[in-house]
Amino acid sequence: MNDSPGAPQHWARIQESGSLAGMRIMVWIRRHLGRLPFRIVLGPVIVYYYLGQALPRRASRRYLERIWPLHAGHAPRQPWWLGLKHFMAFGQSLMDKVDAWSGMSMGVKLTPEHRACLDQAIRSGRGGLMLVSHIGNLEICSAISDSRDDFHVTQLMHTRNSRKFNQLLDRSTLRRGPEIIEVTEITPATALALAERINAGGFVVIAADRVPINESGRVRHIDFLGASAPFPEGPFWLAALLRCPIYTLSCLREGTSHRVEFQPFDDTSHLRRTDREAWREDAMHRYVAWLKDQCRRYPLQWFNFFPFWQTDDRYDG
Amino acid sequence: MANALELELKHLIIDTLELEDVTPDDIDRDEPLFVEGLGLDSIDALELGLALQKTYGIKLEADSEESRRHFNNLKSLAALVEARRVT
Repeated sequence: MNDSPGAPQHWARIQESGSLAGMRIMVWIRRHLGRLPFRIVLGPVIVYYYLGQALPRRASRRYLERIWPLHAGHAPRQPWWLGLKHFMAFGQSLMDKVDAWSGMSMGVKLTPEHRACLDQAIRSGRGGLMLVSHIGNLEICSAISDSRDDFHVTQLMHTRNSRKFNQLLDRSTLRRGPEIIEVTEITPATALALAERINAGGFVVIAADRVPINESGRVRHIDFLGASAPFPEGPFWLAALLRCPIYTLSCLREGTSHRVEFQPFDDTSHLRRTDREAWREDAMHRYVAWLKDQCRRYPLQWFNFFPFWQTDDRYDG
Repeated sequence: MANALELELKHLIIDTLELEDVTPDDIDRDEPLFVEGLGLDSIDALELGLALQKTYGIKLEADSEESRRHFNNLKSLAALVEARRVT
């Protein structure tokens, strides 16, 4: 990916908006004054952000144009209003993050099927890799891992983004959340660290919907919601090499509670070396199909506010 | 001693990466393992790292420059194993 004019801007180059001070004030309001004052302040903040930030606004619109027909059966009728709702959902997710990390009890629902799957995964003692995405709110899952002694979660994160927000949470809240391994690229050292966690029965979380800035060479363009979008091969190579059970995990807001979905995806324990390339290809397509289904069901909880598709242009709209 | 370990590592590399046409004699201790030389790529490096961990219990620092140096050639790899092995 390059910086030439017209090329979609890489998410990691986009500054996460909002100054740290502003966010800290929001966290303070949420924690000391409560939910209602927070919501009252959040509204204007999100509107201000929505009006002022053209890039994420356009990215949101491009996305909503693609997903809304699948979700609602028709194109967005009031695109401007829908976009604002999308941003509001993001604001809500920030509040939920703060709540989760502050140790407030979150209404978390697992269907019996997903709960059985999670219990079995933990009981097996084999650990695993959990593929996630930037849809919904994974911090809620961290809260689950905090509440269970036998559920050890390590999150692999790319260093560039989200750092601000996490710094903020570290300072403003008491909990530390899951163990986070920050990387700029996946090296043998990273693979070793992850293998160690999994061999000890732990679970590793890795997002597979954003292309890391240094790994532009290992990118696969896959059709997603009607146009080609870049997806990283890295998580799938890791999945193949780590030889362990693979799951998908998401946490989606449903009314006032959260729905956690934990499903088996695959098991690479006996994957043959010669079959690896074919497996990676197939697994990436299955992941994208999973992502599409998540988006279709919870369209406003997609929090990739950057030009996601190859055809997206930062000057368009 | 160093040579015995290097031979062991040659076999480990060949077995792990299923390099069918390569014999231990083809691997030069000073020749770069990756990109040039044997022509292994970054995925192979990950796999080799995991095999080293399994066989010798090696740990690596997260520093990517550091691990690039260790994985440079057979000689540096042998030095790494010598220094870090626990089994």
